[in-house]
Amino acid sequence: MIELSELRDAAQKAFPADELIPDRDESWKLIAEMGWLMMPLPEESGGLGLGRDAVTAINLELGRVLSSAPLVPALLTVQAIGASESLVDRDSWIERTCSGEYVALNLLPGDIALADAGTLSGTLPAVPDADMASHVLVFAKGLSALVPLDAPSISVSERKLWDESRRLFDITLDNCAVDESLMLARDDASHDIANRLHGELQLALAADCLGGANAALDMTVEYLRTRKQFSRPLAMFQALKHRCADLKTHIAATEALLWSRAVDADASVTDLGALKALAADVYRFVTEEAIQLHGGIGLTDEHQCHLFMKRAMLNLSLGGSGDELKERAGRQALETYSA
Amino acid sequence: MTEGKELEGLRQEVRGWLDANAPRGWRESYDNHEAFAQSQREWFAKLVEGGYAIPHWPAEWPGGGRSLAEQKVIYEELARADTPRLLLSFVSTYHAASTFFECGSEEQKARYLPKILEGETWCQGFSEPNAGSDLAALKTKAERKGDVYVVNGQKVWSTMAQYADKCLLLVRTSSDGPKQAGITYLLMDMKAKGVTVRPINQIQGDQEFCEIFLDDVEIPVEERVGEEGQGWAVAQATLASERGLTLMELSYRMQGALWRIAELIRKNGLEEDAGVLRDFGHLVTRIDCTCAIADQFLQNRIDGAERVGDASLVKNTYSRVLREYSLLGTRLGGIDEQYQAPITFGDLNTGNWMADFMNSYAWTIAGGSEEVQRNIIAERMLEMQREPKDWVAS
Ligand SMILES: Cc1cc2nc3c(=O)[nH]c(=O)nc-3n(C[C@H](O)[C@H](O)[C@H](O)COP(=O)(O)OP(=O)(O)OC[C@H]3O[C@@H](n4cnc5c(N)ncnc54)[C@H](O)[C@@H]3O)c2cc1C
Repeated sequence: MIELSELRDAAQKAFPADELIPDRDESWKLIAEMGWLMMPLPEESGGLGLGRDAVTAINLELGRVLSSAPLVPALLTVQAIGASESLVDRDSWIERTCSGEYVALNLLPGDIALADAGTLSGTLPAVPDADMASHVLVFAKGLSALVPLDAPSISVSERKLWDESRRLFDITLDNCAVDESLMLARDDASHDIANRLHGELQLALAADCLGGANAALDMTVEYLRTRKQFSRPLAMFQALKHRCADLKTHIAATEALLWSRAVDADASVTDLGALKALAADVYRFVTEEAIQLHGGIGLTDEHQCHLFMKRAMLNLSLGGSGDELKERAGRQALETYSA
Repeated sequence: MTEGKELEGLRQEVRGWLDANAPRGWRESYDNHEAFAQSQREWFAKLVEGGYAIPHWPAEWPGGGRSLAEQKVIYEELARADTPRLLLSFVSTYHAASTFFECGSEEQKARYLPKILEGETWCQGFSEPNAGSDLAALKTKAERKGDVYVVNGQKVWSTMAQYADKCLLLVRTSSDGPKQAGITYLLMDMKAKGVTVRPINQIQGDQEFCEIFLDDVEIPVEERVGEEGQGWAVAQATLASERGLTLMELSYRMQGALWRIAELIRKNGLEEDAGVLRDFGHLVTRIDCTCAIADQFLQNRIDGAERVGDASLVKNTYSRVLREYSLLGTRLGGIDEQYQAPITFGDLNTGNWMADFMNSYAWTIAGGSEEVQRNIIAERMLEMQREPKDWVAS
């Protein structure tokens, strides 16, 4: 059994805090070498059999350094492949993906239609790093399958994000035939996988948010401790202390829920979505304040403040908007809490 | 939540016991203080008998020695059964007990702890008119005369002092050196000659706390906890009791009372109102965070991994979320909430939303205000530099 703290230490060594947005391809190699891609798979299928809290720990640490490698979607597709009953050569797929072949996934809902002829058409929005993926995992009504990205019926386009730590692509399928041997699941089984991935995505994004929020607050406090105005460190001003203390309190409370939901097998997708919505709010608030508390330097491209803010803003949208996720949580709570 | 067999067993046991014993309709009867105090005494005695009054005490006490997980189950069930919170015995079972367990002499433990279970109640006489956040500035004076201390001064905001038998009292025995060094910790009999208690009317119509006037009150020297001049350190044990266990209980009670907001949404036909659902979903998640951080804090405490400032994070989370909770209720209740309705003494989540809102200040002001906690988080946890100490009036 690997201790969480050991895992976090290893991650901090591999991805030191002072190197933000480490090179994507180098990071990806390192991630594969560390074995992180096999974390969630059970040992009997060649994985490490680590729990969701281990995955959460790594996602949090990578959020701290604004990692540009697509570990979040990759861990989801590895799990989908591991859960598949019908994928031909599943074991070799597990081996390939665990050792670094990247199968991509959209982080916002797609609109893929299944024609009578069995072909897929539509767009998958917000697919991270499609340029380095061999396949994309596609969910359509009643089925899920891997689709190779070099198929002629597929086009991939990138739109530049404000968040420079990430690259997102839209993938368009135009009457794309599904290869039976790449079918992951059908009907209920497919729906279950989609549902599970959706929950894991929310948890992963929440961890990313809180890793980043912690780093942004550390950076801000350090700045206030060293920057002097009025012949004293800015950190001495109580007005600024109290704002930092509130940021810390928000982070700590939300992180407590993160760790508790990470080990709660009964947490619903709605619960995880509500967590993500709150974590993204906190990340936004912390990074918004971080720029203000840095003064003019916080507005410069050269300083790192804005990198966190932009990632926080993107995280508000990924996996679904806060409005949507909170509304769902409210609806669920209305059922849960009756007199 | 999946839980072990033993915990599930305990849960069933507590639930069964509560089915048979939990008082019903108590909210209606808590509209006057006599009924409140009477019912509080009875409920406490019943809980002692059932073995659920002091799960946080050591194992040699009947009903004590419960693990964190067990305490959590008990409090969850007490909240679920919507039992009255033990306000009258609160200072006794937490503040007084923690003080005795950590700093009391063997004699004091033997004399006072069993009495607490028999229903003797304590109040806390720390704050003074000019010593609130700056508690160490307290001036109530105790002079040693032979075997007694003679005490003169005034205490304020002392919760439930009008019903208390005894008082945890901080006094000044010396004005030399740093102000903390001259403080001594005494145990005072509220019936002693020279003690006058005057309840204070609060904004929500309650009289939860009192002024205590001390006029040549004689307190025997053996009623001192710790050495003379060591009172500040002892007081830390008293104050620390409040910042873990209680907040976990209160967090779960707040979660357990979420049905009140759900009911309000249904009553107003707002089940499909996206904005209201969002605000409710947000509040629920904030309350879940509050429970999670209170849990985590206690677990760290048990594991010996508590960090300076952790307690402040828990307190500021709970008190803010309690405010948010009462504000959402007040908003959803609309104009109805602006008409006075009978209050329920000593409860924080009553569904009388204006009263709950006013009551929520208890947690942002008492026990180290929100601002004082922020100072602790910033200076001791985030290591932001302290301001220069001295201020000279010009
Ligand atoms: C419901 C309730 C029950 C209580 N029960 C008891 C009891 O049983 N026994 C007892 O002894 N006391 C009790 N207290 C008293 C409580 O401990 C004090 O109210 C508290 O310490 C604050 O002191 P104060 O009221 O004098 O406010 P002050 O200290 O005068 O504070 C006024 C305002 O200034 C802020 N402030 C103060 N110092 C600072 C600072 N350094 N930096 C920034 N802001 C600051 C405060 O946060 C507050 O907003 C109770 C209080 C309440 C509300």
